[in-house]
Amino acid sequence: MSDDAVTIVIAAGHAVIGEVVRRSLLAQPGLEIVGEARDRAALLDACRGLHPDVIVLDDHLDDPERSLGALRALRDEGVAVAAVVIADRTDGPSVLRALRLGARGYVRKTDLRGVGAAVRVVADGGRAIDPEFEQAAVMALGTFAQQAREGSEVQATLTPREHQILLMVSQGFTMQQAGHRLGISPRTVETHVAKLYRKLGVRSRVQAVARAAQLGLIEP
Amino acid sequence: MSRRPSETASQRPRTRLGVVVVDPLPVVRAGLAMLIEDRPDMEVVAEAGTPEECLEVMGRVRRNRVVVLVGLGLRGEHDASWLIRTLRERFPAHAILGCGANTDATTISRVLFMGADGFVDKNIDPVEFLQSLRRAADREMVLAGPAPGAVGQIADGIQRHRDLEVRLTEREREVLSVAAEGLTAREIASRLGVRERTVTTHLARIYGKLGVGSRLAAIRMATRAGLVSVGASAD
Repeated sequence: MSDDAVTIVIAAGHAVIGEVVRRSLLAQPGLEIVGEARDRAALLDACRGLHPDVIVLDDHLDDPERSLGALRALRDEGVAVAAVVIADRTDGPSVLRALRLGARGYVRKTDLRGVGAAVRVVADGGRAIDPEFEQAAVMALGTFAQQAREGSEVQATLTPREHQILLMVSQGFTMQQAGHRLGISPRTVETHVAKLYRKLGVRSRVQAVARAAQLGLIEP
Repeated sequence: MSRRPSETASQRPRTRLGVVVVDPLPVVRAGLAMLIEDRPDMEVVAEAGTPEECLEVMGRVRRNRVVVLVGLGLRGEHDASWLIRTLRERFPAHAILGCGANTDATTISRVLFMGADGFVDKNIDPVEFLQSLRRAADREMVLAGPAPGAVGQIADGIQRHRDLEVRLTEREREVLSVAAEGLTAREIASRLGVRERTVTTHLARIYGKLGVGSRLAAIRMATRAGLVSVGASAD
């Protein structure tokens, strides 16, 4: 490993994607691939052991929900690494999520040939995110702020009991089960649920759960 | 964020965009007014130097497309955050833009959380500044000026703000923000018109809810969440 080469770990969920990324990186001088990972656990190990300068991270590793979450895990451990995310989705919420996790580059999987150039920019301390993606993230930020505000307003009006029942409703408890668990009559549960629906502005259980998730009152 | 400002697209002749300029500094208001009045598609319909004055003049604004430009340096009984929240409630159809200079991500988070449709930095190019007003009027979210990469931080700030806001009652937030000015429990009590004992009870409950052991730690947490701003001017 030469002293000034940029060291890189590739984390791609699929061998073909890994190979395209590899070729794109090799086309850039001064980039050195020091490791490859197929899943989240291997990526974390590689980052802890090899301390790469940059990781190229597929948003669809073995566990799609937690792929990008690897960035948070690394940050919490104090492992400093710049990330270029490669993704299928370029909608605002997806880009915003990657940005929140500290991604410095964002490349669409259909444009993978550009990943080498993106890594170069990021390794030099820059950012490689298409302005169009960034604008989509800004729009998503507006929605996010609005939902955070509305969510906190609604949450402030919920009693602890209603909040408890909301969680149970979202987990699929029937009125009887919820009543039994809480040591109150199903009838009382129904009264709480009716109030809860009114506060959320919904008419059904499905709507209530969807609305509550949107407002951040329950985990989506 | 780094959109190329083009002035042609939205200059179709329709109702001129009405701008309300709210800033404590008369020179800033005058400067913004000159910049805006110079364009054929927008005009200043009202000006105000304080949040209270703003609400007063808003009643006289008769216009469909309105952007309220709120300077974050507003101080006094109420501040810019209060004004934004109040405007959002009373004038849901108007676009509201926070306006500051070199404003940090936490402050921008607070502004967006309170209900602003975006933020513009006074340091940007005038053409881009005006284009931001048009985009806001067209109900677009606008973020003009903050460094690229701030978007993620701003979202995190909003999340922290929300988390803290739901954990504390309005009164507790009030106590905490006065405490952040460095006042003693007795001084806080006299400011809020309650007994000292009540303040210490509030503080103890706030520490419990935030899981911290000291006033300093609570203030630090509230500052990080943008709930209170300590020392540094928001403008």
